[in-house]
Amino acid sequence: MNAIETRGLTKYYDTLCAVDDLSLSINNEIFALLGPNGSGKTTTVLMLTTLLNPTAGTASVCGNDILTQAEEVRSCISYVPQDMAVDIKLTGRENVRFFADLYGVPRAADRVDEVLAVMELSDRADDLIRTYSGGMRRRLELAQALVHEPSVLFLDEPTIGLDVAARKRIWEHIRALRKKGMTVFVTTHYMDEADRFCDRVGIISKGRIAALGTPAELKARLMKDVITAKVEGECTPPPVEGVVFVGRTGDELSFTAENGREALPVLTDALVHAGIRVHSMSLREPTLDDVFIQAIGQQEEPHGFEDGKFRIMLRRRK
Amino acid sequence: MRGVFTYMKRDFTKWARGRVAVISALVMPAAWLVFVGLALPVRFTGNYLDFITPGILVMTMLSAGLSGGALLMFDKILGFLNKFLALPTPRASILVGKILFITGRGLIQTTIILVIALLIGATLMSPLQYLLTYLVLFLFGVLISAFATTVALHLDDHDSYSAFSTMISMPLFFTSSALMPYDVMPVWLATIARLNPLSFAIDAVREIGAGSVPSLPVLLLVAISAIILGICMSVFRRVTI
Repeated sequence: MNAIETRGLTKYYDTLCAVDDLSLSINNEIFALLGPNGSGKTTTVLMLTTLLNPTAGTASVCGNDILTQAEEVRSCISYVPQDMAVDIKLTGRENVRFFADLYGVPRAADRVDEVLAVMELSDRADDLIRTYSGGMRRRLELAQALVHEPSVLFLDEPTIGLDVAARKRIWEHIRALRKKGMTVFVTTHYMDEADRFCDRVGIISKGRIAALGTPAELKARLMKDVITAKVEGECTPPPVEGVVFVGRTGDELSFTAENGREALPVLTDALVHAGIRVHSMSLREPTLDDVFIQAIGQQEEPHGFEDGKFRIMLRRRK
Repeated sequence: MRGVFTYMKRDFTKWARGRVAVISALVMPAAWLVFVGLALPVRFTGNYLDFITPGILVMTMLSAGLSGGALLMFDKILGFLNKFLALPTPRASILVGKILFITGRGLIQTTIILVIALLIGATLMSPLQYLLTYLVLFLFGVLISAFATTVALHLDDHDSYSAFSTMISMPLFFTSSALMPYDVMPVWLATIARLNPLSFAIDAVREIGAGSVPSLPVLLLVAISAIILGICMSVFRRVTI
């Protein structure tokens, strides 16, 4: 039995299709749903956490159907939404105890101490949240979510708005949870984090999965290294075997090559022979960013720019 | 029901740590009591303060209930509600917890209003009369806070909620029997006032003060509260965002 299983999950808001025929199987891993803003990530999470009913299709979490066994689903999951919602007038301990009581956790006081210690918040547990930093508030939310030992954890943009150190810390905690056997479903648009910390990623665009696999697999599917050359003046790059010209942005030419290390000197020679002044050459391996851009193509906002509306808006401002 | 006490405790703790809100909620009813109750020259009763006190008590409960609906609005805007809805705790507990907190807070405020009324010259009642008064106020509090919380659940933002609460509080108050008895009202006003649930509560408290047991208004109040509470609970059970 997979922890999360979706079959043809679909959600329409009026005529706007937010999630389109989504089928996924996720089990004991850190699964990241990557996608641009408005691509349907949060809608997917809301359906899986039983906060929203799908228009069509179905899904099960821990073997429970999200429509007919919603209460069973809710008792085996934890959900941490995007906006940091912790009571600033309560202390850290009170905030966690509040959730422990709502879940009906046995020996609540001990369990609260335990999760506060796991999240490294013990020494600040009796301070008001008002005095906590963003990273600490996020860890406190994780502590709240973990207090009843869920089997599936849903995190919507867990590291948004945090500094680099705080992000790394959050991810280390998430990795530790996975090792203990928990299934973690995260949404994010930080590619580097998904690349480094997640077991498998699904890239979602306009409600559909555009690419699915481990970060390494997805990058390998591009199978190419990226070479960029900084040049001066107008020029047409000469054809070189095994190198594909991708395009030009400003004074930078981009190429892809099957084997970047070998292609680099050949390409440099060819450019110089063609009389092009080359300032610098660089070679890098593809990142998840490249996979992402390739998978979703040129992304448009869900609604186009409307001149009329914009003018009305300007008039209102006066 | 599981979670009710926990939800209620959270709101009480937050309220007790707020301070300013505790005082500010009392200023308006106290001002009515002093400036209208003591100053208005009326001829239909010897002690207008005794007449208007039940109206002010119910008004305190009304404004406590309506401002209490904003609590759910904030829970919703700040993302707490999403977390609560994803919990295995019954969703109706969110509503019942709010009702108990809002009504409890309202009863504390009405107690202070009662003390002020006594200090400026209202007649002291027997313990049983006070007990019955609290019972009526509790019933009315349940009615108004269930209604306000459920409306807040369905409105989009705090602006529309405060517009809603302003829109209904004044008309409800002025078309009730709070300020004058039915026989001195114009006929059209008396008709509306007799149908206003605020009047049921006010009349009940007044009858208690006069020494009788207000069975009809209390029965009406129980019936309306039960119906509204039932509807609101089923709304909360089925809620999606």
